[in-house]
Amino acid sequence: MLETDKEWLAAPVSTGPDVLPEDKFFYMADSAVCMAVADAGLGNRRQAGLSVGTVLGNILAKQSRLMGGQNPERLRKRESLTCVAPYLAEKHELGGPSFTISTACASGTDAIGAAAREIISGRADIMVAGGVDALSDFAFTGFHALHALTETKVRPFDKNRSGLALGEGAAFVVLEEEGGASKRGARIYGRILGYSSRLDAHHLTAPHREGRGLAAAAGEALLQSGLDTDGIDYINAHGTGTLYNDLMETLVIKKVFGKTAYEIPVSSTKSMLGHSFGAAGAIETICCLLAINHKQVPPTINFEERDPACDLDYVPNLAREHDINAAMSLSAGFGGQNSAIVVGAL
Amino acid sequence: MKLVITGKSFISSAQADEAMETLADRVKQMRFVHDLEKLAVVAAGCAMLGSGLECHHGDSDIGIYMGIDDAIEDIKDEYFTGALADGLWGASPLLFPFTSPNTLAAQISIAFGLRGEGLVMPVKSLCPDMIKYSAGSIEGGYAKKAISGAISLTDRSLSIDAGRYSAGFVIIEKEADAVRRGAKIYNTLKAGNIEDI
Repeated sequence: MLETDKEWLAAPVSTGPDVLPEDKFFYMADSAVCMAVADAGLGNRRQAGLSVGTVLGNILAKQSRLMGGQNPERLRKRESLTCVAPYLAEKHELGGPSFTISTACASGTDAIGAAAREIISGRADIMVAGGVDALSDFAFTGFHALHALTETKVRPFDKNRSGLALGEGAAFVVLEEEGGASKRGARIYGRILGYSSRLDAHHLTAPHREGRGLAAAAGEALLQSGLDTDGIDYINAHGTGTLYNDLMETLVIKKVFGKTAYEIPVSSTKSMLGHSFGAAGAIETICCLLAINHKQVPPTINFEERDPACDLDYVPNLAREHDINAAMSLSAGFGGQNSAIVVGAL
Repeated sequence: MKLVITGKSFISSAQADEAMETLADRVKQMRFVHDLEKLAVVAAGCAMLGSGLECHHGDSDIGIYMGIDDAIEDIKDEYFTGALADGLWGASPLLFPFTSPNTLAAQISIAFGLRGEGLVMPVKSLCPDMIKYSAGSIEGGYAKKAISGAISLTDRSLSIDAGRYSAGFVIIEKEADAVRRGAKIYNTLKAGNIEDI
């Protein structure tokens, strides 16, 4: 995990004159894995596994080739989605279980959840897990065709919200059994308390209007955490800024948390970072962990006018001091894919 | 916990239309944008049919776990080639969602009303990886049954109608559950590996 500390930015990554714009996907992934591994103080990585969430993979290389570019061989070899986890695992000498997960915009959350299960089941001792995706013409044309992009600012939960803003990034965490982490003196950011994935079985691109799948995922993750509805102190919403997502998500939170929903700060960090597809869930899980550690809720920016149908506390425009012991991150994506993860303080 | 396989299918894209005829009218009436989604639905449907799980609308106990290899790259190539040919007008809003591999599994969930877990892994060694993960999900209590399988690019030189793609799925569940509902047991699983019985 990374906090803004310049020392981490000096972590060894694939920099140099041969780094092309088409290398950005793996450059971001390499950098984030390096930072997470360095932050965790992992010595022998051979026992650690890797779980990577991504939707499009190294799409910039494919895009370049299809546009007539003469990609070097290393790019052609790494164009396929199937290459992502094997390449990163080999590069970072991660010898444990290794897989890529591609569950649309829930990929990052599912990658962390699946990694946690590898440890719970005893199949791995340590997992490096997260998500990555790069901004591309490919993604831009697709979301444009679906009329999902805003032409102004991304305004999650605002009455005048008009769509999402694309983003990019990579975010990884290091997961391990608590006893092992304590024994080797690692800094522990928090615990994974619950994780669940559920399908809407409704529509390919639109969320179920009442958030059937997301409510089921959130309810199950909460159940696994052993917390009551008043045990969640912050919710990092999927919060894309589209009309239907934000309305659906508000209904989901009210359905799962009942009257308590009105007392829980809910924010969309996509208002500041954009929607980074496969990286989003991992970024937002880390936002929850940092919110717990800093006792501060990140805001929903660009929030100007309240929507009567979105009537929760969306932490408008300014971060807020708040004692957070447990937080939930929600993710949803194409195909009615929904995930929820609950993290808690040590 | 002993896990068993109670349904299985292996279908080439050349046989997809023929296999579709064995499924319920509701599934036959679905409209498909790409042949890969039809293949995914048909292959999963045939495995469910063999297992006696043809219709389970609203079932949140059945998880879908699917692997996919470079077959997904064909959809991406097709979508972006269209966009390059005709600019934004060529960027198909119908095809774009299928560039995300999970939407193929999502069509299975929509066709059969399955609201359990859904996980898609782009992998080269398809079935063994997915079956191990699916078995782990049942053993961990995250699903009671699993539709587990993969879609594969079988032969790049073939057209779709000639068998460019293939898909295979198995139904995995606890032996006790299979015996209770009288399902035929094809194989047992040991440490996530299929064993003959």
